[in-house]
Amino acid sequence: MNCDQLLLHPRVSAALRRVQLKSVQDVVCASAPDLQRLTGLSNSDVQQLITAAAAACRRHPPITAQQLQHGVSGVRLGCPVLDRLLRGGLPVGGITELAGESGTGKTQVGLQLSLSVQYPAEHGGLGAGALYVCTEDSFPIKRLHQLIGEQVCLRSDVPADLVNSLRFSDHVYIEHAADLDSLQVCLTRRARLLLARGLVRLIVVDSVAALFRAEFQADDWLERNRRLLTFSSTLHHLSQEFSTPVLCINQVTDVFSQSHNSMGPSSSTVSPALGLAWANQVMVRLMMRRLQGMVIRGEQSSALRRLEVVFAPHLARDGQDTAVWTEGLRGVESWTSNRK
Amino acid sequence: MQTYGQEGALNTDTELSHVLHDSKHQAAFYVEENKPQDLLRSFISETGLSEEEAVEVLKAVKGGGGGGSGDFSASLTALELLQKEEELRSIVTFSSQLDESLGGGIPVGKITEVCGVPGIGKTQLCLQLAVDVQVPQCFGGVEGQVMFIDTEGSFLLQRVTDIAAAAVRHCSLLAEDDEQRAATETFTVETVLSNIFLVRCHDHVELLAELHLLPDFLSQHPKIRLLVIDSVAFPFRLLFDELSQRTRLLNGVGQQLITMAINYNISVVITNQMTTRIRDGQSHIVPALGECWGHAPTIRLLLQWEGSRRLATIFKSPCHMETMVQYQITPEGFRDADQSEMPQSKQPRMDTDQSAADPKETSS
Repeated sequence: MNCDQLLLHPRVSAALRRVQLKSVQDVVCASAPDLQRLTGLSNSDVQQLITAAAAACRRHPPITAQQLQHGVSGVRLGCPVLDRLLRGGLPVGGITELAGESGTGKTQVGLQLSLSVQYPAEHGGLGAGALYVCTEDSFPIKRLHQLIGEQVCLRSDVPADLVNSLRFSDHVYIEHAADLDSLQVCLTRRARLLLARGLVRLIVVDSVAALFRAEFQADDWLERNRRLLTFSSTLHHLSQEFSTPVLCINQVTDVFSQSHNSMGPSSSTVSPALGLAWANQVMVRLMMRRLQGMVIRGEQSSALRRLEVVFAPHLARDGQDTAVWTEGLRGVESWTSNRK
Repeated sequence: MQTYGQEGALNTDTELSHVLHDSKHQAAFYVEENKPQDLLRSFISETGLSEEEAVEVLKAVKGGGGGGSGDFSASLTALELLQKEEELRSIVTFSSQLDESLGGGIPVGKITEVCGVPGIGKTQLCLQLAVDVQVPQCFGGVEGQVMFIDTEGSFLLQRVTDIAAAAVRHCSLLAEDDEQRAATETFTVETVLSNIFLVRCHDHVELLAELHLLPDFLSQHPKIRLLVIDSVAFPFRLLFDELSQRTRLLNGVGQQLITMAINYNISVVITNQMTTRIRDGQSHIVPALGECWGHAPTIRLLLQWEGSRRLATIFKSPCHMETMVQYQITPEGFRDADQSEMPQSKQPRMDTDQSAADPKETSS
């Protein structure tokens, strides 16, 4: 925003023009004595200027917690057991990370959310499509079609004609980003456009680790952290501006005993990749692990997995056994599981 | 009476002080409180200033320096300071061990920084304090309101409601006399939520702007006793390339926070992230934002993991031993690790209640 738009005393505006101080951001970031020295204005004039500039930078005046919207809690996965673990699904603002070894079912979660976000709000969606950014592999389009076909089976809580009326595959926007620059372009240009038009209310990045791990050597960590911060701040801005959930799928790295206890107790020997710099940017961290054993349901069988909440401001550290079926990921209640 | 002996110290603009300097020898001006209009008129005629400028000079003289901060200038003796500090109650954390090592809780009038790795419970402690500051006075609380500046988006209503409900339940279980029962009538989850003022700041500019506007807001809401910024690190860590600018801005933030803490008798609680520093070929985890920022908070509290235990360490404080206590995050909020031990807030109350119930004690 420009200083010309502020309602200021002509004397102050003239002084600002003289020293070519244009943006309110510059005024807010400068200290009062600095401004006084620069503009030659009096103390009270400078105070008025700062107050006016600060008021222009503020988006909303303070509200009480009671006035916060109780409405949307997030995007549900569509399985009541898992939605209970996540207290209503993926939170609307902020980055949710899902980390795990390969083959644990991370991508399944991403795909399932891309479909469940398309349901109307009363069925746990946001009534809009999803942007799916692939950096690792080609998009599993066959699996997506299989999931779409089985939606009626997964979402038995939703009337079947509503499920059939939704045209799921039209609302999953797929992007491939082969390097960091194209990822950044994709997020700042195309993602913003899709969000602004209301076509999309979910961003899935599968996965963040691939590009950051591939493009930097071990001694480039400073540059890597810088790019990582730029990337995560882009996601944060998009997420907040359009109140859109963001799911980042991450790889894991082996942990050695020393760094092990600083990040907390972990039930496995791996921890999410990209270290502390990335962890600081994440609001909710989930992990998927493969467990020993199989679950059998009729004709189908699935390896037993566990979805764990590592940290989240609103969730307890907890976990839930899950299995991947043709219709998607479902929690396994201990009394129904049929381990072998 | 005050003379213009030191107008060089006044923060008026250079043009004004130049005029003042010229007229100083010809006319000795005295600020007489009872005749402001006469004074103004003669002042204008002597100096040839415009009325507006003359008013500004007089205001600057009266304000004793003319800073925006008003009447914060009286010097106090150490004894007065001690008495003043003893009057201020601390904000309990609901972990009796941590309260004990902090001498009663998070102090009012000081900056306390909470550092720790993600997921250790920094935000949980902040949310807990935002509820705890509202505990009615008859329960030993501060009974204030709270200003919560959220830079990370981690203020989730679900969780605050959990913690508030647990605190309300805790107090209603403790209520024994009429005063306390009356207080629990108004201490409900709805009132707790309505006493939390929330601002969401998306970047460092918005945070700085909010801090500039905060003194006015605090004057309008004199019941605010706690300011939380969760977290300071998040918006500032993006200024990765401009380290000198970051240091300058952070110094300004530190100054603003301590001024507000003292002027408005509020407790300032801020959170900070951790970062890896490599020293002597070994990597250490240290609080972020650099060495210089470490001077801003009065108390630094480090939350860390040790195996599966959560530990809180006071590692910077002018008036506390470096102690380490264990805590846990339960569905109810921030609590002592050992459940079998009675919360501290309960113990003294039980004693006084017993003596009140015993007729012999009260009559003697």
